[in-house]
Amino acid sequence: MLEVHSPIGNIFDEGFEDLEHGDFERLKISRTEIEKRVLRKQTDCGTDIGFKLDPGVRLRHGDIIKNKDSKIIVEQLSESVISVRFADKTPTDIKILLGHMIGNMHRPISIQHEEILIPILADSEKDTFSKIIGHLIHHIEMKIDQRVFISQSGVTPHGH
Amino acid sequence: MTHIPRIGIGGPVGSGKSMLIERMVPMLAKEGYSVSIISNDVISKEDADRMRTNLATKKGLLPENLVIGIATGGCPHTAIREDPSMNLSVIEEMESKHSELDLIIIESGGDNVTTTFSPILADYFIYIIDVAGGDKYPRKGGLGIVSCDLLLINKIDLASMVGADLEIMQRDAKIIRNEKPFEFINCKTDEGIKKVTEHIIHDVLFDSVPKSAKSQMV
Repeated sequence: MLEVHSPIGNIFDEGFEDLEHGDFERLKISRTEIEKRVLRKQTDCGTDIGFKLDPGVRLRHGDIIKNKDSKIIVEQLSESVISVRFADKTPTDIKILLGHMIGNMHRPISIQHEEILIPILADSEKDTFSKIIGHLIHHIEMKIDQRVFISQSGVTPHGH
Repeated sequence: MTHIPRIGIGGPVGSGKSMLIERMVPMLAKEGYSVSIISNDVISKEDADRMRTNLATKKGLLPENLVIGIATGGCPHTAIREDPSMNLSVIEEMESKHSELDLIIIESGGDNVTTTFSPILADYFIYIIDVAGGDKYPRKGGLGIVSCDLLLINKIDLASMVGADLEIMQRDAKIIRNEKPFEFINCKTDEGIKKVTEHIIHDVLFDSVPKSAKSQMV
C-alpha cells in the first residue's frame, strides 16, 4: 500500500486544463470521499493507496500523488447538480428570498459565474424544488447537469 | 498530537448501533487493537453505561473511563455533523492522554436515513439499518444509506418473520451503493461481525499492527 500524507501539487495549479486526455494513473473518488482525511482506495491501474493526510491538508480534484517514477491524479467523480441562474433584472429581494429557500434544502452550494450549483441525489428533486419556490420560478432558469461539484470555499457546508 | 482513526456509527433508533459496538470491540481487542467509545444520545446515557458495564467492567476489554456518554440535548445529527464540537473536545482529550489507542468509535444517537458524519469528526462512516423496516429500506435511499462507507443490514434472523426478502435487499443495496460495500449481519449471533471488523482493519487501520504490539517489538 502506498501511504500518502500530502499531495505534491495540483494539476490545475500547473495550468493543465484537460484532465480527460492526460496519460496518468487515476484515482477516481466521490465528493464524500474527497473530504476524508483517512481513505483507502485503488487507482484504475490497481495501485493500493492509503491516505492519512497531515493536519490541515485536504484533497482536491486534480491533486497529484507521487508514486515512485509515475504520477497519480486524484479525479473527483461528477454527480447530478441543479444549476440555478437568475433571470435578468431579478429584484434583490426576490434573490434573497430564493437564497433563503435554497438554504432550506440543507445542501452544500457553489456559486460560479452568477450560477448557483446544488448537488442532488435524484432528478425528482428538481420538481420538488420547483413546487417549493412556487411562482418565483419565473425568476430563474434551472437545469440538471453532471458536474464535478466543489463546495464554495470559506464555508463549512453539510447536507442531509 | 497524533490523529487516532475514528469511525462513526449512525442509524435509526433500535437498529443495533450499540449492540454492533458490543460485538465488534471484543473481536478488535482479540486482534490486539485498543479502542475507546463515545456514545451520543439526546438525554440518556443508558447505552454508554451498558457498554461500559459489558465491555469494560465485566470483560475488561478497555478502561471504564474510555467509554464516554455525551448527552447532546438536541437533534442527534447536529452533534455529529453541523456542530461536532462536543465530540471533538472529547476526542482531543483522548488523543492527548491516550496515544496508545488504535481506534475511536463514535456512536450517534438514533436518527433518520439522512444521517451523516462530518468528515472533520469521523474518518469512516458505518450506517446500520435492520430488516424490520421492510425489504424496501435499501432502495429508498437517503444520504446515510447512499454515502456511508459501509452499510450494514442487521437482524437478518427476523427477515422471515417480518416478510422481508433478503434477496431483494441485496439486489437493491448493490444498485444504490454503486460498488460501495454492504454486509448482512446479526448482532445477536455475531453473524457477519467478523467481516465488519475486517473492513475497519483494512479501510481505516490500513492493516497496521496494533500499537501495543509495536511497543512490545521495540
